[in-house]
Amino acid sequence: MDQVVVTEGLTKDYGAVLALDGLTVQVAPGVTGLVGANGAGKSTLIKILLGLIPPTAGRARVLGHDIATEGPQIRAAVGYLPEHDCLPPDVSASDFAVHMAMMSGLPRVAARERAADVLRHVGLAEERYRPMGGYSTGMKQKAKLAQALVHDPKLVFLDEPTNGLDPAARDEMLGLIRRIGHDFGISIIVTSHLLGELERVSDQVVVLDGGRLLRASRTDDFLDATGALLLEVLGDDAQARMLDALTRAGLTAARRGSMLTVDASHPAGVQDGGADADVHDVIRDTAGALGLGLVRLQADHRRIEDVFADTSGPR
Amino acid sequence: MSQPGGIPANPNSASVIHDIGYRPYAGPRHGEGAIARALVTTGFRNAFGLGRSGRSKILPFVLLAFNLAPALAIAGAIMLANLKEMPIGYARYAATTQVLLGIFVAAQAPVLFSRDQRHGTLALYLARPLPAPAYAIARWLALLGATLVFLILPIVILYAVALLGEFDLTDETRKAAVAVGLALLLTAAITGIAGLIASVSTRRGFGVMATIAFLLLGDGIVAAIQGISSQEGNERIGEIAGLFSPYSLYRGLVTAWADGSSMTPPNSTAMEWLYAAVLLAIALACVAGLVWRYRKLATK
Repeated sequence: MDQVVVTEGLTKDYGAVLALDGLTVQVAPGVTGLVGANGAGKSTLIKILLGLIPPTAGRARVLGHDIATEGPQIRAAVGYLPEHDCLPPDVSASDFAVHMAMMSGLPRVAARERAADVLRHVGLAEERYRPMGGYSTGMKQKAKLAQALVHDPKLVFLDEPTNGLDPAARDEMLGLIRRIGHDFGISIIVTSHLLGELERVSDQVVVLDGGRLLRASRTDDFLDATGALLLEVLGDDAQARMLDALTRAGLTAARRGSMLTVDASHPAGVQDGGADADVHDVIRDTAGALGLGLVRLQADHRRIEDVFADTSGPR
Repeated sequence: MSQPGGIPANPNSASVIHDIGYRPYAGPRHGEGAIARALVTTGFRNAFGLGRSGRSKILPFVLLAFNLAPALAIAGAIMLANLKEMPIGYARYAATTQVLLGIFVAAQAPVLFSRDQRHGTLALYLARPLPAPAYAIARWLALLGATLVFLILPIVILYAVALLGEFDLTDETRKAAVAVGLALLLTAAITGIAGLIASVSTRRGFGVMATIAFLLLGDGIVAAIQGISSQEGNERIGEIAGLFSPYSLYRGLVTAWADGSSMTPPNSTAMEWLYAAVLLAIALACVAGLVWRYRKLATK
């Protein structure tokens, strides 16, 4: 499949700040997480890809269109959810979505139909007819998402779509993002500084740091890299006993907070199970033998954060 | 087991009856021209509070009603008293209601030029196909259209009454046409000024006050200078002072080309055309300023 975004040596120099520094990256179709601390160059990259600001150096193509010469074609085919507030308070979500669809060139009748469809998909019901000034943050984010999708784009840029949402609303938004990317067939580039939520929805992750590419790979690769398992046991002095037992079973285990991590990348098999015994089985049997309740056993998902943490060290 | 309508009763199913899946759009997409036209139409409606909250409709329609009241009163008087001559000229009408016009332009320019910046909506427009300069011009045309309603409607009412009252058709048509031309010049200039002020002041209150101060106070100062110079017998100063405010330019032209009331009208053909040229130049400079401003906002 063709890449949705290809950049080559993309540089943006604001004089005082070097926002992007020779960024070369390829983004495949699907859901892509764009990760980076504040000021890493995420928003600048999106604006350059929208063809709004010219790069100081380098080239980029979005959906096959050159950003330098085909800005209008790009903007016709992409949707954009900005990080900041962007909704006029005295207009209803319904009227606003219709208007924004027309601003992307849809005829009025089609715009009405699309607006109704998209507002239903994002989950705005009767409130779509009320002025958006009275909306909760969650409803506002849904309205912002609706306007980004209303013209049926091939690619949407979502800049911090979960910002300021409570956990329930955040789960709902992440579910929507997954549906849009996987069921609607629209590619998504989503930024967030909360790494945990990106790995839940994205197929690939691009990590930016100081305007440079730190890493770009499939989400699975990030997660498989550690090969560690996270487990939690309940019982009297459960952790210490479990840690002890696992070490004796030949596994490399360590404490982390109220949980244990087990390195699953080295084959177990010191115990009687033999060389082929699965680490999962060893852990289950160990907990069973000790009479402890095994309440959690999952892949350790700290790796993306680790990549990130590495960069905050001395540079 | 199934519910009426054949929908399987599955409480765990995420799909509900109205979930018909995502339908991609394969229909036509218009180009920039049609998008700009849609933006002008929406802007025109928004200037009168249409498509916005109920509260925002009050001011524009109250002003419009005040603005039309004298025209309707005159129309009534002509019909009842069976007058054979228009008590007030078409072009002069706008000069007498200039305060209402100034308030309307000052209050509604921020609706079109500040609102999108204050609420961040501009970013959404800029992320769509219409380029920033076209956006700026479309917004200005919307304000121009809305303001022209203020100036053209009274002319239409008075002209209709003139036709009904069997006035001299050729004469009335010529006068009405001159009035429409002058109205266009005045509207282009004051909407340009108000738009430019509103586009650089995201605070609505500031934009409104600055525009009113610029249009009405500026005109007051010019009128005072013109009054003094007229009394002192040095009308040349008043004639030149008239170049410095859109309203005094308009009054000067109305006096020269229709039946105005300027104390020191332009008294040579060259000066008359200079007055018209300055009005046009103000409009063009302001539109150029708007284009520059939005181009800068787009790349911020």
